[in-house]
Amino acid sequence: MAVEANSLSGKTLSGKSVARKIWQAFASIKTGVILLIMVVILAAAGTIILQRPVTDPDEMQRAYSPQALRLLDSTGLTDVFHAWWFLGLMVLVSLCIVAASIDRFPNAWRYFSRPYKYPDESFRRASRPQKLLAIADEESGLVAAERALHSLGFKPERVVREDHFGIFAERHRISELAVYIVHASLLLIFFGAVVDGIWGWQGTLNLNEGQTSNAVELRDGATRTLPFAIRCDAAGQENYQDGTPKKWWSKLAVVQNGRDLQKKEIVVNDPLLYNGVRFYQSSYGPNGKIDKLMLEGTPSNGSGARQEIGIALNQTVTLDADTTVRFAEFFPDFAVRDGQVYRKSNDLENPAAHLVVTSKNAAKDFDVWLPQLDEIADNSKSPYQFNAIDLKMGHFTGLQVSHEPGQWGVWSGVVLIGIGLAVVFYVVHMRFWVVPICDPKTGKCSLWIGGSANRNREAFEQRFNELVTLVEAELKSLPEPVRQEQTASVAWN
Amino acid sequence: MAHAKAEQQQPTTGATLIVLVGLAVVFLLFMAFLNVVKSGNLLSETNLLYAALIFYAGAGALYLGFGVTGTQSYLKFASFSTWLGLIANTAAIAHRWYEAGHAPFASVYEMLLSFVWTLAALTLVAEKKYAVKVIGTVTMPVAIVGVLLMQLLRTDVHPLVPALQSTWLHVHVTLAMLAYAACALSFALAMMFLIQDKLKTETVLAVTSASTLAIYASIVSTRFEKWGALNLVAWNPETKSEVFLSRGVRLFVTIPDLGWLMTLTSLVVASPLVFYALARWKKSDSFLTLANRAVFLSILLQVMTVAIFMLRARDGHYPSLDAEGLFQTSLAASPFIFSGLVGGVFISLLYLLLLWRRPDLERSLPTADNLDRITYKTICLAFPLLTLMIASGAYWANQTWGSYWSWDPKETWAAITWLVYALYLHMRITRGWRGRRAAYFAIAGFAVVMFTFFGVTYLLPGLHAYA
Repeated sequence: MAVEANSLSGKTLSGKSVARKIWQAFASIKTGVILLIMVVILAAAGTIILQRPVTDPDEMQRAYSPQALRLLDSTGLTDVFHAWWFLGLMVLVSLCIVAASIDRFPNAWRYFSRPYKYPDESFRRASRPQKLLAIADEESGLVAAERALHSLGFKPERVVREDHFGIFAERHRISELAVYIVHASLLLIFFGAVVDGIWGWQGTLNLNEGQTSNAVELRDGATRTLPFAIRCDAAGQENYQDGTPKKWWSKLAVVQNGRDLQKKEIVVNDPLLYNGVRFYQSSYGPNGKIDKLMLEGTPSNGSGARQEIGIALNQTVTLDADTTVRFAEFFPDFAVRDGQVYRKSNDLENPAAHLVVTSKNAAKDFDVWLPQLDEIADNSKSPYQFNAIDLKMGHFTGLQVSHEPGQWGVWSGVVLIGIGLAVVFYVVHMRFWVVPICDPKTGKCSLWIGGSANRNREAFEQRFNELVTLVEAELKSLPEPVRQEQTASVAWN
Repeated sequence: MAHAKAEQQQPTTGATLIVLVGLAVVFLLFMAFLNVVKSGNLLSETNLLYAALIFYAGAGALYLGFGVTGTQSYLKFASFSTWLGLIANTAAIAHRWYEAGHAPFASVYEMLLSFVWTLAALTLVAEKKYAVKVIGTVTMPVAIVGVLLMQLLRTDVHPLVPALQSTWLHVHVTLAMLAYAACALSFALAMMFLIQDKLKTETVLAVTSASTLAIYASIVSTRFEKWGALNLVAWNPETKSEVFLSRGVRLFVTIPDLGWLMTLTSLVVASPLVFYALARWKKSDSFLTLANRAVFLSILLQVMTVAIFMLRARDGHYPSLDAEGLFQTSLAASPFIFSGLVGGVFISLLYLLLLWRRPDLERSLPTADNLDRITYKTICLAFPLLTLMIASGAYWANQTWGSYWSWDPKETWAAITWLVYALYLHMRITRGWRGRRAAYFAIAGFAVVMFTFFGVTYLLPGLHAYA
């Protein structure tokens, strides 16, 4: 940031160098840290200030004074996570990751693609850990080192240049790039989230049993019409013994042009997927409508037997050759005023049913109310007397509907970040170099062994000491003739 | 107990404390046994948890005792006691798992059960593998507070609501507990690093005093009622739940005089801080002596406050300002006030330990460099776990709610925790932050973890309502 300010005030700077400075500012760890701190602060604010999308408007007004609410609304603090500035901040974070990666990646790539295989003298002097072993000749030293490295599970490689030679062995070179894998997978997750933000949508669909619909109510109140419809064939709830819900289920069918394309019984945690749209079981409950009224009817004159009938709203049931009954009206929660029946609420609190009994012979309709409402009608005139046995209320199943085309980006990013982090923290890039050094004057030879690790150096040092011990053992166990033969061959060279 | 020991100032023989702790454990087990005989049920969860509490408390006292006297033999007994506590804790988990038919991750209570278990296990690992012998001095008190909290929270086995019936529940919560326990360990290690790094004892004094003051000030400022009373949430002993006036509005009872007591204690707790400020201002060490005496006084008063608070909150019927009649309350209705008070006593005791036995402590801890490195390693363990925890939660949410990220407070705070540790790693790896700054960062990170774990559940309700 400071760099950016400086570059703007400097008049002599050309446009190109300004761009370069901005780029450097973005690539700097300082900018990244500042941006992350801002994300932390704003996200925390978003959890402490009540957020519009998940709060009742009434509660918002109760919690804040009108002025404060206006201020919060105008700054977007009541919907932090969808505010343009929060989005902008996330874009900046992504840019920062991109810039920092591009800035540092070439170096890491060079390191990765062209491993340093032969240590020159200055490197050998500075390298830690290192060890010098006395050897009889160059070849025996190299053979011993190769065997030792093999037994440690490495694949040693002979490095031969014009004027020198040695051994190089390494493991887990990928560790050098793991940090970039982690950052790239973060970008992949962001990318998926952005795709979902633009092309994805979420909404709800409430269906009564037997109902078919293709109109999804979106979070912002709009309606989205699907190219296919969903029919709910059945839905239900299972309870634990203490009455808390154990399971909600719905039998759904995908319908298009009158044909059933797919059927599935969904439960919570197991959605129906069709054409990239997912249908989740999210709730279940009474819809305030009656499904069936169970009645017990007895003829008023005592001439016939008692019969049990189940009757749906507006359905007509024949009681005997002469008499039929129709279920005319239903009130889940009723009140009577001025000779009229009103619906007080949709909750099943105080139900009333209006039946119409028709007698062909008498050519007359009789109103029957359950319970008996003296102000409205006299039940005793009816040719049948009724008792309500049971009410079967209709239920709706609440479905969450979502279309998230970007989620594959998110999940692949998640898998990659898991792998990346495991490599970053637990896979160590280990390198060993072995160089035989002979003093041309004295003819005495020694074997230089060096090693390096990009993390967890204490553990690596143990590894290194293990290698040195093994090389020493191999040197001792090499049979004398081999040594001489090989000495000879080296001498010939 | 440990406090009384600390007062003696002279480590007479190493055996005294072991005998005392042993006697206390035996006495408590005997009392528990009487209880078992009465109820005729030996392996109930309560009993197992009680046993775990006793052993953890014994271990905590021995770890403290080791810190105070430097007697090596305490350590063996302490880790033995931790082992026993861990076994009892494991049995309690197994019992609950069997009884509930699902892994114990469905409520705050069950998660605490798992958290304490992980913490005790990690303590033993740190002790054996990294030779951080006194780590129990910090982790055991946390475990004890955890078990105490469990005694207060609801223990009924709740069947799983539909949204929780998923394998991902286990994956998600196991990862969360492992990650949080690793964070707790890094916190303890960072604290020890600060001691080894020659952080001035009086700085610790200031921080201790400030944090106890913060506990009391937040209680007094939110709960003080006119004429020195204290507001506490009412409790219905029959339904074992808080009393609600209407949806989301709790009924408060006012307990007379407790407010004055809290105010008095907060003043006394603040006094070391005042003396510390005076010492800095006048540049005189005599004020520091006064400050240390004030800490001692504040511990006495704090213990008294806890005792009186427990007595008043457990029994008795109290009036309420919002409703007619008398209501009961319970410690279970105010778990956070209670654990805050107990926590205050613990941190003050830890300060006394540091004040009196610093050289011994320093001798028994690994070097500062090692502690710094182990702290970093623990965070290297915690960070991938946090990442996987968030990822598994997102995957599960996508299956249940139809969206992998909904900016629910718990999600947001988990992301904030992740970011804080990500910042730590960046600072450490690219900026070479070592030592103090890294240790402060690790401590701050753990504070965020604790807020995510407890604070969000109780202060910022959302989709994660059941946990």
